[in-house]
Amino acid sequence: MAKWGMVFDLKRCIGCNACAVACKQENSLPYGVFFTKTLSEEVGEFPTTTRVYIPTLCNHCEDAPCQRVCPTGATYTRPDGIVMVDGDKCIGCGSCIVACPYDQRTRLEPQMLERGLFGNGKLTPFELHGYARFTPGTAVKCTFCHERVDAGLQPACVATCPTNARIFGDLDDPGSTVRRLIQERRGRQPMPERNTNPRVFYID
Amino acid sequence: MGAETQPVQNSMKPGKWLNSTCKMCLHSCNIRVHVSEDGIVNKIEGDPTSPSNNGRMCPKGNAAIMRHYDPHRFKSPLKRTNPEKGPGVDPRWQPISWDEAYDIVGRELKRVMQEDRRKLLCAINNFQKLFLWAWPAALGNANYFSSVGNFCGGGYHPMNGFIHSAFAAANDVNYCNYWINNGGGDGFSSHLHTAAQAYHMANARVERNMRVVVVEPRLSIGAAKANEWVPIRPATDRQFALSLCHVLVNEKLCDVKFLKKETNAPYLVGPDGYFVRNEDGKIYVWDAGENRPKPWDDPSIEEFALEGSYEVEGKECQPAFQKFKDILEDCSPEKLEKTTTVPAATARRIAREFAKAAQIGSSIEIDGRVLPLRPAAYNFYRGAQGHKFSAMANQSFKLVNMLVGNIDTPGGHVGATLDDQNQDIRGGAGQVNAGENGMLKTAPHQLHPEVPFSYPPNETHLMGYFPIGVDPGHLTQLTFFQPEKFGMNYTPDTMLLCHANPLWNLTGRREDWYRIMRAMRFIVAIDIVPNESNEWADVILPAHDLLESWNMTMIEPPHHEGMCLRQPATPPLYDTRSEEEIFYEISERLGVLQIWNQILNFVNGFVMRPELMLEADGKYSDQEIAERKGLLWNGKDLNWYREHGHAVTPRRPDKWYRPWQGMRLHFYIEDILKARDDLKQKMEAADVAIRHEWEWADYQPLPTGVLDPVHLEPSEYDLYAITYKDIQINFGESLSNPWIDDIVFKDPVHTSLLMNRKAGLARGLQDGDIVEVASPYGKIVGRVALSEGVHPDAVCVSNALTRVATQHTGVRTGGGNFNDLLPANLQHTDACSGQPETVAKVRVKKIASVPAQQLTGNTVFAQRRRH
Repeated sequence: MAKWGMVFDLKRCIGCNACAVACKQENSLPYGVFFTKTLSEEVGEFPTTTRVYIPTLCNHCEDAPCQRVCPTGATYTRPDGIVMVDGDKCIGCGSCIVACPYDQRTRLEPQMLERGLFGNGKLTPFELHGYARFTPGTAVKCTFCHERVDAGLQPACVATCPTNARIFGDLDDPGSTVRRLIQERRGRQPMPERNTNPRVFYID
Repeated sequence: MGAETQPVQNSMKPGKWLNSTCKMCLHSCNIRVHVSEDGIVNKIEGDPTSPSNNGRMCPKGNAAIMRHYDPHRFKSPLKRTNPEKGPGVDPRWQPISWDEAYDIVGRELKRVMQEDRRKLLCAINNFQKLFLWAWPAALGNANYFSSVGNFCGGGYHPMNGFIHSAFAAANDVNYCNYWINNGGGDGFSSHLHTAAQAYHMANARVERNMRVVVVEPRLSIGAAKANEWVPIRPATDRQFALSLCHVLVNEKLCDVKFLKKETNAPYLVGPDGYFVRNEDGKIYVWDAGENRPKPWDDPSIEEFALEGSYEVEGKECQPAFQKFKDILEDCSPEKLEKTTTVPAATARRIAREFAKAAQIGSSIEIDGRVLPLRPAAYNFYRGAQGHKFSAMANQSFKLVNMLVGNIDTPGGHVGATLDDQNQDIRGGAGQVNAGENGMLKTAPHQLHPEVPFSYPPNETHLMGYFPIGVDPGHLTQLTFFQPEKFGMNYTPDTMLLCHANPLWNLTGRREDWYRIMRAMRFIVAIDIVPNESNEWADVILPAHDLLESWNMTMIEPPHHEGMCLRQPATPPLYDTRSEEEIFYEISERLGVLQIWNQILNFVNGFVMRPELMLEADGKYSDQEIAERKGLLWNGKDLNWYREHGHAVTPRRPDKWYRPWQGMRLHFYIEDILKARDDLKQKMEAADVAIRHEWEWADYQPLPTGVLDPVHLEPSEYDLYAITYKDIQINFGESLSNPWIDDIVFKDPVHTSLLMNRKAGLARGLQDGDIVEVASPYGKIVGRVALSEGVHPDAVCVSNALTRVATQHTGVRTGGGNFNDLLPANLQHTDACSGQPETVAKVRVKKIASVPAQQLTGNTVFAQRRRH
């Protein structure tokens, strides 16, 4: 069984957020809701300044704090490492949102779905078609595009990334590109001090 | 709903995939569109079979579905019922039938044709259907009421035509090892096929360690990813390039063999600036071997002199190279450091690194052909070239490249054609032809044939006075408000807009543009969603969007070629039509159907294959035109294209690298002087009064270091305002799209006016202060953010902050249009190319709060989105 993980190549990422929009169309996300996005930070003093673009998503932690705090077992980890939320079990208590050190969970408020992407209270056919997957009031987050992965495809954000800054693969396979990149370019996990053992690595 | 029963992810749902082509910017990335079983377009992805975008897409392309389902779309033909027109004023549209709409438009346009066809102002901006641009020609009209050059390249495109006989140019990412980016976003944020370029560029950067040096006033995406960011004072890019040329020439870091044998650098230039010719018209060079002049093609020439002063046929003369060397005396990095603020040592180092990386003398064999390998190149675009002396700016960047012999070489600076048409030839305006005296025939007219001189001017934007450049749409302001001065004997009163938003893109004061709009008796707009300009229309003719229509094109790809199919993914959502149908119907009502078909045959290249020619009285659908374009490219019909999606391949080396081999390139552009003197003579003959104010000094065969006049504004304007786009809003409207809105207004560089931290603090400004930014011509307001990524002299205004109120309530209004800061006058327009200055000298003043009128509605100043 593969253990899925992702590597972000910070040398490649241009902060364009094509990933964020691809995710929105793949997962029918309402306005203001992101399963992935790229942050940016200015570094240094003029004139030796640069800006770092930092892609983020659910880290699918091996020891996921969100799962630990979930009172109903709605948050669970698939055997392949993908951390999921079962909308039928989620009671919307928000514990996981507080517990996630990476700010990667969103409580799906009913008005987010009702307001519509164009903010006029009417849903486009795209939204009417896609919002059926959501249970208002529950927690949502990135699933590594689990259905695509199950079908042998790349997550939508990975497939679209113009600079190939997102590399997805099997962390347990010593021959995988993700493993090679983590080894060769010293991949770092976000906030290692939280001991969550993320399945997401950054290389620069 | 459980995952085990019904997929929740859109691309996994039952449905079908269709091959198509993106149109969220003007370029043409290959896509595949997923349509669910219930007919919903629910996912668009890049086409993985495309060697250009490789299955990748930019954020705009990813957001196309929200254009399709935008509830603000024009859903049927509309007629205005509110006689009052103004910015943000509701036209109170009334739906009408297509028959009624066509009849009104036909009647009104017929009236203007009968009265005076020059009174029609057209703005047709659909790049993927370039043939539409030619429609006014069917009426004998060449007005252009929009900007092309302002925000792309007034001087850029003609200069590419002079140097490469091509529309655009890019650095060759396949082999380049040292890439200078000056005021352009290639490979990072904007310009040519962004998703494709970003992919190839990232591979070159990361896998080959290609060094990237970005020269810009602002820490752009490119600058952030570069090995080196060189902050530069705005509007001094030309001086920076000339300082590099100074080092390359004076430290003898040039490809001398190339300059002598493959350019006109050794041609002798006389005191009048023209080449010295013998009685047969042959241009002289100086043979340093025998120390005497000879015609350029004399087989006995031992050594072409590049330097020295000579006398030939009684004329003092010098090789063109020497002329440039003389100019460069005043352009040392040390002398220009005060202008550019780039430390002399930095400019010298970059010039040396560039020359070293160019590997002058090296070669590479590609497909059995030995080519010079010059893996260093200087790329540039709007920010660097958008200045008063634009032709000179463009030429200075080209000369950095030419001095190291990298023009159209592997790894070098390579011309890119606009729309190749036919795979057997390098077609359209990109054809390479031999000119006189061994030189390449220059092709500065890349968008349309030269518009003939006329007086009184037939064009409100004076296009007949720009024998070289791209349409200076902003000059309509001059002729409209000062008709006597320009000898105008008509007043425009009718307008046709097609996928155009001139009220957003034209320089000059909005209030003046509004006065022109108010003076229009009738305006028709062909468009998809409301914008600043089409809300002034009397009739709207709604067009299909990219998911409902047919097309075939390949626009301006740097490294690839081959037609790309657009096909409908769904039937039209609303009562919309194709542009093809709309223009055919109007043409028929105006009695110009035959000439329109003739024009279509010409501009689409159907004349190359007589069996594809449109019949004079025919009216053809978008599908029929698309099929012909596909057949013209590679003989394949629509079934083939529907299966394959595209015919994209890497550009073929024989047609891409040095297609002019055997001809000499224009180091020195005598044609610019010819154009000047021809225009001067025509103006004299016609006694055109404006010739006394015409900016004759703008026509130079070689660039000089003279300052652009923007630097000479009164000293109280102590900062330079620049504007920029990034990849989310690159090329064309996407701010009305909620997915784009969602990412743009979370990005700190698009939410505030950016100023250098120290420079802001020195002016008493803090993060979040509201300021008024005033130039001598206009003002805007904004919220300040202090940044270490901004040149101390610059105020940077994202294009996302420049919208004004429209009928599309999804568009956030900003603190005024940046273009109000810029003058629409001759003094700040390059007479040689039509390019207006795009940098404004400004002063920044803290104000108490955002003016009330800018706080109403959905604004960038609001904390939350409002609709």
